[in-house]
Amino acid sequence: MQFYQNYFSKIKINFWLISSLLISSLICVPILIILSSFFTELSGYYKLLTETYLYTYVINTVILFIGVILFSFVFGVGIAYLVSFYIFPGSKFITWAIILSFAVPGYIYAYSLTAFFEYFGNLYSLLTFLFGEADYNKYMPRVDSMFGSILSISFSLFVYVYLITRVCFIYQSQNQIDAGRNMGFSKYQIFSKILIPAARPGIIAGLSLVAMETISDFGTVSFFNVQTLTTAIYDSWIFYDDLNTAYQLSFFLILFVFIFFSIEKFSRSRSQYNIPNKGYKTVEKTTLKGKQAFIASFFCFFIFFLSFVFPVSQMLFWVLKFPASFNLNEILTLSFNTSFLVIITTSILIFLSFLTNYGMRVTDSKLLSTVTNFSISGYAIPGIILSVTILTFASLLSNFFGNSFFKIIIIGTVFGMITAYCIRFYALAINGIKSGYEKLNKSIDDVSYLMGYTKFGTFIKVHVPFLKQNLVIIGMMVSIDILKELPITFILRPYNFDTFATKAYVFASQDMLEYAASPSLFLILFSSIFILFSRKFILKGF
Amino acid sequence: MKNYLEIKNLDYSVNSEHILNDVNFNINKKGEIVCLLGPSGIGKTTILRSIAGLIKPRNGKITLKDKTLTSDNEFVEPEDRNISLSFQDNSLFPHYNVEENIKFGVKRSLFCSKNKNGPLGYSVDDLLDLFFIKELKKKYPHEISAGQAQRVSLVRSIIHNPDLLLLDEPLANIDQYLKNKIQDNLKQVLKKSGLTTIIVTHDKFEAFYLGDYCGVLLNKRIVQFDSPYNLHHLPKNKMVVEFFNRGVLIPAKIKSDDTLYNEDLGEIKGNFSNIDFQGRDQVDLLIQPEDLEHDDKSKLKFDVVDKKFRGSSFIYILKTHSNLMLPVFVHSHHEHLHQENEKFGIKQPIYIDHLVCF
Repeated sequence: MQFYQNYFSKIKINFWLISSLLISSLICVPILIILSSFFTELSGYYKLLTETYLYTYVINTVILFIGVILFSFVFGVGIAYLVSFYIFPGSKFITWAIILSFAVPGYIYAYSLTAFFEYFGNLYSLLTFLFGEADYNKYMPRVDSMFGSILSISFSLFVYVYLITRVCFIYQSQNQIDAGRNMGFSKYQIFSKILIPAARPGIIAGLSLVAMETISDFGTVSFFNVQTLTTAIYDSWIFYDDLNTAYQLSFFLILFVFIFFSIEKFSRSRSQYNIPNKGYKTVEKTTLKGKQAFIASFFCFFIFFLSFVFPVSQMLFWVLKFPASFNLNEILTLSFNTSFLVIITTSILIFLSFLTNYGMRVTDSKLLSTVTNFSISGYAIPGIILSVTILTFASLLSNFFGNSFFKIIIIGTVFGMITAYCIRFYALAINGIKSGYEKLNKSIDDVSYLMGYTKFGTFIKVHVPFLKQNLVIIGMMVSIDILKELPITFILRPYNFDTFATKAYVFASQDMLEYAASPSLFLILFSSIFILFSRKFILKGF
Repeated sequence: MKNYLEIKNLDYSVNSEHILNDVNFNINKKGEIVCLLGPSGIGKTTILRSIAGLIKPRNGKITLKDKTLTSDNEFVEPEDRNISLSFQDNSLFPHYNVEENIKFGVKRSLFCSKNKNGPLGYSVDDLLDLFFIKELKKKYPHEISAGQAQRVSLVRSIIHNPDLLLLDEPLANIDQYLKNKIQDNLKQVLKKSGLTTIIVTHDKFEAFYLGDYCGVLLNKRIVQFDSPYNLHHLPKNKMVVEFFNRGVLIPAKIKSDDTLYNEDLGEIKGNFSNIDFQGRDQVDLLIQPEDLEHDDKSKLKFDVVDKKFRGSSFIYILKTHSNLMLPVFVHSHHEHLHQENEKFGIKQPIYIDHLVCF
């Protein structure tokens, strides 16, 4: 009997481990493939590359990274500081409206920049409308590709910094600020000696997220033709058919990414000391007047205009200008495809993360939480590397088993795409349910058992109703991400299967920006709706 | 039928650290109330959790109504035990209101095993009334105070009409002015419904009032399990005396089978509550505040070093020639004029009903 019980409890733990182990092992695949490529012989192309362009790729990646970090810091921390401590015209609106810029992916921002400044572009039309016909093209500033990329990516990512920094700012206690005043600190001293140091982990965590996404960006840099590590990976794989080189370049990229990933994790855990406890007093906001109020308002609305209103208006203008490019059937198909992907992916993710989270709750297994912590690192693997390695993995499996089964079900199929999405967005789902469970005291389960409810009954009657809101939010967040996701969808999609993102990208890369406008516009529209619905959750620092 | 509830040799440890060591006690009849007393962090809650089946003890046997719940090779899941536990911390379902929380235990569904005992003699509204929380019915847990949440949790565990009710510090967060009323009502409900109950508390007076029997948990085991009267007057060992912190131990010599001798107090007469001193004639005698009586005319006088006002009484602390600190209880209906550093007389001959010696 004793033996049987021990044996049974072991099986139970293994059951919970399944989903975590599954995802974890899938995450190991890209890392292992990339590492193992380092032990194969260097190809001729790689040698050529190191002698010629590799240096440029790395330099470009670094410049891009520094530029985006600077802009994101100024926009993100600036707005977070203003809305957290001051009241000025529009401050309440900006607090949530600024996160709408999250709905505009970098590559679509790039399309709008180009559409605005190109020969006979939207700026030209605007000037003609205002001042009549003239040869404005002569004076039109050219968008530098590097600067354009930096701007596009900054405007689409600075919200990460804004969100995490703002949470750090608003969870500071007024008591700290009062203590500072009591010691005779000036306003500037309070800012530099109390507020910024306390928010520093948050700022660093936000910037690390931005850095991770920047150096993994594919859509924007490839549209602007900036040669970075990601485009080099893509080129050596597609144009030179040289997978090994692609992996060796991936190694550098992953190295960078994991440095930022670790910084982010470390900083986040340190920013926990800002979580309010007893004796916490919310910050009293100061009302700004006159010139100060104007400057604060202007800064925030200017950024809001540039990051959201500008790209939306460009795409809208283009759709109106070329009504022929708008195809309702196409929009319906794209909506259908996207919802299909969202529904399947979200269901799988919710199932897996419920399994793991529930397992962690009832077993308290250290092994399980270690494996889970590893398995959520999938969001750090750049989409392009994830896709390439999934393709390789399918071929490896097929070769190993001597049939093409795995190739057929993974390469160019919805199944392959969804697998990649699950790896990438697993963290989102796990953390979404985890944060809900953390608010549900464990003794509540005990109460339910003692009232005669079984484990499953407790799950259905207590946990699920309690986590309803978290489920909706996970659905929203996964939807936003799948809508915006480009490289995974672009590389792994079946023939003729498109989402808004790939449709827009394909048209834009063929220089048919007017046709890219309507999918882009709908992409932004849908993401904005999801953001508006989940804004309360997003504002808590997601 | 043997005892209603039997707990034998209960051991519990976490990571090789002992929390409970050989805990034993019984409840004889249905409807009895037992209080477990002890300092915080001593494992009182662990006993309740073991009985409820929320943790598996390392060793030991728990039997309820002749049915083994826990033993070396048997374990009944908590949902099949028909035992209710009211937790010390807030354990209300945050997404249900007060009424839904309480009815969660009564409403039966597909996922819930049936309760054989049938409904309690009280309705939900009766209980809400008795515990002064009627107006909270539609409120959500985050809208009520900790003390109110505790009473809701109490009602929720009672309404279930379990075979055994476990209450973990049920009145800890409740304001003093309401506490006495709620204690009265709680006792009335438990007794009228015949609910067999174990109450964990660190409030001695609560335990003495509510409990038919009390167990004192010290040093990982139950050191005395007795009626409230005996616990107070006949503590079994020095640990219990120290826990209740009611008196002092003074050295004394046994003269005869009803007489002791102390250098400062002289002869002390009374009835020995225990007589097994393993041949020693030098013992420690417990002096509780009400053992000595005040008498201004007495020749036996000591210095007052402190005077504690306790509402209905004063407790004077007297210093003897050999530096013993003796507490003496005096009613406060007239203001006593003895101040610190004054002399205070003790009535002689000294007679103590229960001579407690170790």
